[in-house]
Amino acid sequence: MSAPTDVMVAEPQAPDPAPAAPARDERWLRAGKLAVRWIAAILGAMIIFSVLVSFQGANPLEVFADMWVSTFQRPRSLTEIFIRMAPITLAALAVVLPARAGMMNVGGEGQVIVGAVGAAGVGLAFDQTLPGGLVMVLMAVGAIVAGAAWAGIAALLRLVFNVNEAVTTLLLNFVALDLLLFLIYQPWRESAAAQPSTREVAVAAQLPTLGSTGVTVGIIVAVAAVIVLGWALTRTRWGYRLGVVGGNPEAARRAAMPVTMLLLSALLVGGALAGLAGWIELSAVELKLRPGFGTQIGYIGFLASWLARHRPLPVLVASFVLAALSVAADSLQLDSGLPASTINILTALLLVAVLGWTTMKGKKT
Amino acid sequence: MSIIIDVASGGVRGGTSILYAATGETISERAGVINLGTEGSMLAGALAAYMVSSQTGNPWLGVAVGAFAGALISSVHAVLVVKRKANQFASGLAVLFLSLGLTSLFGSSYVGKTITPFTVWDVPLLSDIPWIGPILFQQDPLVYLSYLVVPLVWFVLFRTRAGLLVRTAGERSEALTVHGFSVQRVRMAAVIAGGVLAGVGGAHLSIAYTNSWFENMVAGRGFIAVALVIFASWSPLKVFGGAYLFGAALSLGPALQARGYEINQFALHVIPFVLTLTVLAALGRRTISAAPAELKRVFENAPPDP
Repeated sequence: MSAPTDVMVAEPQAPDPAPAAPARDERWLRAGKLAVRWIAAILGAMIIFSVLVSFQGANPLEVFADMWVSTFQRPRSLTEIFIRMAPITLAALAVVLPARAGMMNVGGEGQVIVGAVGAAGVGLAFDQTLPGGLVMVLMAVGAIVAGAAWAGIAALLRLVFNVNEAVTTLLLNFVALDLLLFLIYQPWRESAAAQPSTREVAVAAQLPTLGSTGVTVGIIVAVAAVIVLGWALTRTRWGYRLGVVGGNPEAARRAAMPVTMLLLSALLVGGALAGLAGWIELSAVELKLRPGFGTQIGYIGFLASWLARHRPLPVLVASFVLAALSVAADSLQLDSGLPASTINILTALLLVAVLGWTTMKGKKT
Repeated sequence: MSIIIDVASGGVRGGTSILYAATGETISERAGVINLGTEGSMLAGALAAYMVSSQTGNPWLGVAVGAFAGALISSVHAVLVVKRKANQFASGLAVLFLSLGLTSLFGSSYVGKTITPFTVWDVPLLSDIPWIGPILFQQDPLVYLSYLVVPLVWFVLFRTRAGLLVRTAGERSEALTVHGFSVQRVRMAAVIAGGVLAGVGGAHLSIAYTNSWFENMVAGRGFIAVALVIFASWSPLKVFGGAYLFGAALSLGPALQARGYEINQFALHVIPFVLTLTVLAALGRRTISAAPAELKRVFENAPPDP
């Protein structure tokens, strides 16, 4: 469990809004305290998890050992983590960006689904006629447009009708799910005889893997998005202004900043990133739309963003951890005979610890 | 004609779990706390009720334990949000994931178990009234209980001292402090009371409506409940209409299909969500201005970066 420690180490390096930077040893002390908290949080989560699992007659030590082995020590396990990490990272960035502007995007789930629907629509329409590489790019564009449009509905409701985006993005998740199911139960269904799903997109339009690793280029897209967003938020006027709007919209308005456009851009770009996540999930993992497509990627991304406290680089660590946990979930099912969703307990406990015991500082009561 | 009665009575049956949860969420939001973990409380309530009903054969005991389980889950949210000042949306989702994990762990051995469910009980005389009888009075006991509980919650919220405390915690929490009350305690109580009702809603789902347990069976009803509270502008009585509307949209598809209409059920399933969004847009500023003041703060101050 070295990954969460990285978040801890990254902590004191974060830009501190306090006027005087704390002295060096004070910073170490703070980092030390934070480390203790993190270790306590992780241990606590593992102990609670152990107790719960043993209620169901499983031996917690064996469960952890199996999870560790199949998550990190099998030949393809790291590959699997990186494959699952890519969409989670992008879905997390879809939360990071609006959060920077003081908005809550709970709609990653829907934006991921609609992004995949957009990609699939383009892919299914063109993959028989156009060259694969071109279809791949067009699918990405379709996903970006669809994801941004979906977030755009929430943006419209917020900016024109003054309806809170946390509520609308949440509701739009269910609309997106119904849209997906509607399409695969009839219009886009491959065959009425088989399970409802679309056909797979042509091999040429699927995401290529990196050399012989089995990892798809999805992870490159995700890492690139993290770097670009990290740069844009700290080094561009746009990023700076988003921060001002998020911190104090009134001040931003007085400074004659285009607040509406800033809020709109944050949600649209966020939606586009979630759409990309849907594209990667479609063309690297699932290859076709089916019921239960991309389940919970949006929500897991939301959690990842909170684990990383809405900072792009830590998002990479958080989504690695959550992807690893999702691989570990398979081990729970295969090795220990426990339901895969049991892993949600660990995920949730980790987040509970982070929300409750590491974010107190700097918070107005 | 019978289709209207079918859809309406199906709406009442299918809407009851949402009705309980949304009524509970109304209490919580009136105190200034939004709880996306409602979905989690419903899940916990559904499983606990199912387990107990299967073990003891007593569905009422199931409801009681379901209510307790719902309260337990919501108390995690209450502690995080009230005591630790965590972000309400993030905490709610964390709590939902906790409940998803717990219920799948403890529920897996109950999939497919037989239980003693609640059965439909026709109210004498009232059930014979044309139209109204079959819709409202040929239902299960938990539906009847909701006819009492929801107005009771309205009464407590708007006509009693306890309700005044809850509403003050949501409107002007300083006033509570000035008069020597603990805002934190009032909010904790309100969130946990919300969890109790969400647990009962979950119980209705598993031991009165579907009579089954499966992973993630609540399937978004808890989120619908949260949206419904806004739709109903924080009034328990308006929640009635909203919950039944959702229920009716859910029962329209099966009712049409049973009569041989070829219809893609998802086109119907989506109606309540689109309707809610439309109403929210139409009410716009008016809805938000009806919100408890402290809740508005939660909406407006989604803190960007701690």
